[in-house]
Amino acid sequence: MLRKKRCVAMLLAGGQGSRLGILTKHVAKPAVPFGGKYRIIDFPLSNCSNSGVDVVGVLTQYRPLELNAYIASGAPWDLDLVNGGVFVLPPYQTGKTGEWYKGTANAIYQNISFIDQYDPDYVLILSGDHIYKMDYAAMVAHHESHNADATIAVRQVPWEEAPRFGIMNTDANDNIIEFEEKPAHPKSNNASMGVYVFTWAKLRKYLTEDEQNPNSQNDFGKNIIPAMLAEGQKLVAYSFNDYWKDVGTIESLWEANMDLLEDHPEIDLHDKKFRIYARNLGMIPQYVADTAKVENCLITEGCDVRGTVIHSILSSGVVVEEGAQVIDSVIMPGAKIEKGAIVRRAIVAEDAVVSANAIVGEGAGLIAVVGNGAVVPSDGRISAGEQFGE
Amino acid sequence: MKNIMGIIYTADRDNQLKELTADRAVAAVPLCGRYRLIDFPLSAMVDSGIRNIGVITQKNYNSLMDHLGSGREWDLHGKRAGLVFLPPFTNNNVGVYSGFLDAIHANLHYLRRSKERYVVSTDTHMLFTARFDDMVAAHEASGADITLMYSKDPGTRRNGAGRYIQVEEDGRVSALESDPSTPHLPYTYLEAFCIRRELLITLVDETVSQGYHHLTRDVLMEAIAKRTLKVHGFENPGRAWYLDSVQSYFKASMELLNRDTRADLFSADRPVLTKLRDEMPTHHCAGAKVKNSLIADGCIIEGTVENCILFRGVHIAKGAVVRNCIIMQDSKVLEDAELQYCIMDKQATIQPKGRLLATESYPIVVAKNYTV
Repeated sequence: MLRKKRCVAMLLAGGQGSRLGILTKHVAKPAVPFGGKYRIIDFPLSNCSNSGVDVVGVLTQYRPLELNAYIASGAPWDLDLVNGGVFVLPPYQTGKTGEWYKGTANAIYQNISFIDQYDPDYVLILSGDHIYKMDYAAMVAHHESHNADATIAVRQVPWEEAPRFGIMNTDANDNIIEFEEKPAHPKSNNASMGVYVFTWAKLRKYLTEDEQNPNSQNDFGKNIIPAMLAEGQKLVAYSFNDYWKDVGTIESLWEANMDLLEDHPEIDLHDKKFRIYARNLGMIPQYVADTAKVENCLITEGCDVRGTVIHSILSSGVVVEEGAQVIDSVIMPGAKIEKGAIVRRAIVAEDAVVSANAIVGEGAGLIAVVGNGAVVPSDGRISAGEQFGE
Repeated sequence: MKNIMGIIYTADRDNQLKELTADRAVAAVPLCGRYRLIDFPLSAMVDSGIRNIGVITQKNYNSLMDHLGSGREWDLHGKRAGLVFLPPFTNNNVGVYSGFLDAIHANLHYLRRSKERYVVSTDTHMLFTARFDDMVAAHEASGADITLMYSKDPGTRRNGAGRYIQVEEDGRVSALESDPSTPHLPYTYLEAFCIRRELLITLVDETVSQGYHHLTRDVLMEAIAKRTLKVHGFENPGRAWYLDSVQSYFKASMELLNRDTRADLFSADRPVLTKLRDEMPTHHCAGAKVKNSLIADGCIIEGTVENCILFRGVHIAKGAVVRNCIIMQDSKVLEDAELQYCIMDKQATIQPKGRLLATESYPIVVAKNYTV
């Protein structure tokens, strides 16, 4: 019998993230590198660790190899515990049946017995798509003090962007009275962040009922939340207006990286009280040579910089050779930019090579992408918005 | 899994590095942006397949304990073997070791309990990387009683505080000198050796009961001279640095700015492992100028940095100019300050417009936590 936990987190990490194109062809979205030495999943995992949520189930399905290896024992996030910890939960077979996770709600439904082991009061539902720092403990306290059945984290988005989100319409006491998925004419700009706290007994009931409805898409936003609203359960909004960025597209992933290069970034990764942890390789400190010119960059260990790097992010072990130029770009771990190559407004993925004198990206327009392990040949040209690699 | 155990002796020579060892053992002296000296022998042992490693400590071992923890970063935190911390104040010892023999004698229980056939022992004030498994293979092949690791590196400092040996063509060590005022023998003994575990236990038992303290001076020199033990040499082909003063520490650090020298100590397939700190990448701000420098994570650089080594979490403020310096963890050089040939220990601060200009031959050390 495991010890009872007040709150268990379930992190939905099974989606492919197809809008990230070639970047998620070989790895699941939560395993995509971010900010020089992180992966997207480091943010929710570190948030859990910093919030005292010490049981985290990670639901995987698509290309789980890298994610499994990355999470492993959970030690980097202090989640390798005797009483709790992080658990990777792929779909599994029971008896003669077994099925893939059909939707976000079904993924949790299939793991009811995992959650029941801890007999939790609350379950926190998270996704692996966002860059943000959030104290989940404060949200759980809000849920508790409002006697809510479900609490949904919301943030105000610009009105013109509201039609892209799930919009929560609330009364004066933060009670959610209406939920609209991607409304053409939104009544508010309170967008759901995809972060939910549920009272476990209630969620358990709704998951079970939802599973029995053959017409359901088994999705939190489309099915579970509307069903709870329809039956008059108490749904409360929890406002969160610190930095939060969806990194589900090439452009937004690039933008979120660039946000870190601001003079005073909205998300402070230096903060020792709320660290974002990552599994790091422990490489030798970066070397910046006499021939290098570096301006407004984030550069991490293992890098060897001999060329020009401006307003860019270099991840672990990146090499920029003499005469190469990297401008407004994100270079992921282990990539190499050879002599005379020019990389502008681009994402160069893990272990890719931009050979001598090749040109990737353009000074304006869409972001160019070089995929994992791809080799741009000498004198090659990758234009704005193009995705190169297999 | 090799049949070798390791011993890292950190109990000696704590005073040569002056302020840098004021409140830490030599083994815990920071080097090259993110490492401590002990990381080099420890990582080399792990890389050589050694899984049972005892660390003998004496004074000021709190920072060493903090650094090593459970040994997780070196994969030494398992159940069957791993890192064994051997502090002083045991039944057989009241706290002060006069030499290596005393230290081993105080920890004989650990040697007796271990099961490996061979012991590789090393100190921490010599900086080098090594294939200890190759040394043990050579030791087995030669049938020697003790095999000493030595270096022919002409760059290794030779002065009054080292150990030097003569090695004959058949590999036998024919002479050894300890702390000579002028070294006569050609090669530097790296104070790393291998021996059969049972033989080490016997040797220590016998010699300590005769009132001896030092392995090199009391046992090895005599055994070589009288040929009572078969002592062989094993050449370590890489670079080796003897860190016996602040100047030699500074010089060794600066040599690591050279790519080839660095490649000798840090190869991609044989990483040097160390404690992790989860710092974010270093921010080179607009207006920063960085040349020929090694920089760890978590730094914020707004000023000028040339020929420097910056440890984790260092802040070089706007207008500050830092040349030929070693700046340790979480130290700050504030606005318009100027620094040359300085070693700033951890969490030190140079106030705005402060100036500290030293020379290459005599670098200034700013002690831990001090503000200038």
